[in-house]
Amino acid sequence: MRQRLPFIFPEILPPEARFFCEKSPPPPVGARTARLFALLALLATLICTLAPAPLLAQSSVRPPGAAASFPDAPEPGPANTLGTRSDAEIWDMIRGGSPRDPGVIFAPTPEGALMTTTGQQWRVLRERYIRKYAGWAPLGVIVLLVLHHLIRGPMRLKEGRSGKTLPRFTLTARVAHWFMAVVFILLAISGLIILLGRPLIAPYLGREINAVLTSAAMQGHNLFGPLFILALLWMFVKFVAGNFFHPHDLKWIFRLGGLFGHHVSSRKFNFGEKTWFWMVMLVGAVIAASGVLMLFPWLTDDLRFLQLATVLHVLGAVLLISVALGHIYVGTIGMEGSLDSMLKGEVDENWAKEHHDIWYEQMTGKPARADEPEGEEAAP
Amino acid sequence: MSFLQFVEGPLFYAAAAVFLLGVAWKVLGLIRLGRRPDLAPPKGSAAWGFIRGNLRHFVPRGIFARRTWLHIVAGYGFHVALAVLVFFGAFHIAFIERLTGLSWPALPRWGFIVAAEIAFAGLIALWVRRISDPVMRQITRGEDHASTILTFLVMLTGCLALQESHASLRAIHMLFVDIWLIYFPFSRLMHAFTFVLSRGHSGATYGRKGINL
Repeated sequence: MRQRLPFIFPEILPPEARFFCEKSPPPPVGARTARLFALLALLATLICTLAPAPLLAQSSVRPPGAAASFPDAPEPGPANTLGTRSDAEIWDMIRGGSPRDPGVIFAPTPEGALMTTTGQQWRVLRERYIRKYAGWAPLGVIVLLVLHHLIRGPMRLKEGRSGKTLPRFTLTARVAHWFMAVVFILLAISGLIILLGRPLIAPYLGREINAVLTSAAMQGHNLFGPLFILALLWMFVKFVAGNFFHPHDLKWIFRLGGLFGHHVSSRKFNFGEKTWFWMVMLVGAVIAASGVLMLFPWLTDDLRFLQLATVLHVLGAVLLISVALGHIYVGTIGMEGSLDSMLKGEVDENWAKEHHDIWYEQMTGKPARADEPEGEEAAP
Repeated sequence: MSFLQFVEGPLFYAAAAVFLLGVAWKVLGLIRLGRRPDLAPPKGSAAWGFIRGNLRHFVPRGIFARRTWLHIVAGYGFHVALAVLVFFGAFHIAFIERLTGLSWPALPRWGFIVAAEIAFAGLIALWVRRISDPVMRQITRGEDHASTILTFLVMLTGCLALQESHASLRAIHMLFVDIWLIYFPFSRLMHAFTFVLSRGHSGATYGRKGINL
């Protein structure tokens, strides 16, 4: 049966649709009486329906905060209705407090709370900040190193190589170092894929490739993680001697490690090397501990520790990767003669005189500089 | 035919054939070389010397053990763990069973992981020792690095596929296995078989001369 539309602007309709807008012929008298009764009946029904509405409305709608309360206000509804609380208040009850309250964010599940929402804060921190900005730190270091290399160039030995060498690192110390280096690089690559795959790989190579790479990286990362702990312990045993800070290091700090041309006397390890060693040890320990917690999440019942572990793990790793880039630069192309110490275990005497003069004097008993009396600074 | 089917099927059979024929050809060739005639009357048993020479070299000698403890620990760790991975990994046993119908008990997953950790630690330590020790660097050829890196890649790709979530990762692992099998007879990886002959040859020579190893 064709349905007729109200007679409104038929000209905007296409011709074939205008049929529905044609005026109807006037109804007979009997029909008009019937319509009048129907209208009255509808009016009566509406009055009966709407009369108790204000009472019902007061039981399900929360009055505004500043609204006055009347002594004759109706009682709240039964316990299984919303009562006078809004949705937000009910969710705050379930959470044990407002999500904007730091006490709720960092507290364990509050008393009486049915759920914890710390995961929301963690997700925001990870997605909006860490994942977004973490990659910039290593990239920034690379840019700085390239600029340094282009502008100032590598540090050459002022007097060239002497041809005489001094033993610097034992074979086991070198193996420990390279063992750590290999494991660290594997972990760094796999970790960066896990962290930055979604924003950096998926948009360009596709989600499927990112999924494959992330799955592989996760397995590799979990596999090499325990080897990092082994490497860390081995490095500590082999290198801790000589890496304790000494008042002499203050000179290195004040002269910024000779960055602006002033010579800085140094023992076997200078302040920068010592700082790097302790950074690897301490930050590495945090990374290792947080990694263990992520590998074995059943070690704790508190979800906050796992969330904290992921944050510390990423921040520590990004820090170590960034500084390691500088370490790699100085140890290879950035400083002439440095690599020999880790490849051959020996360094050129001129390298030792120039960069670790006190150590040179301790090793040889000879003054590092011609204007110094013999053995002046050779005391340990 | 998918890439996975190819590397697990025709390419694997071809690689296995190259491996078996190549190893047999090399080992038989070495045996056929024989030994120089020794006209002196024997003072001991060459056969016993062959066996003894093989067994004796499994145990490092005192002063050398102290100086080369890293080589010994890493060497044993890597080789034993690799053998455990290859022959007792559940995936490997399942693969062998599919090909031959033979099967035996597999390591639990945690055992596989521990063996993989030891094998990786050993291989990395052996390789970095090779580049850190001046003497080792002198006797190392590019072929040694190639063998090490290829073995590392076979192990690495195998472990990257542990989750079994993507067929492509398994296919990459199998591709490296095939390359490794083909490369094996023509490289120093042959030491897995020839060590018996070299140790035995020295042992037999000394045994015949009555030298107490």
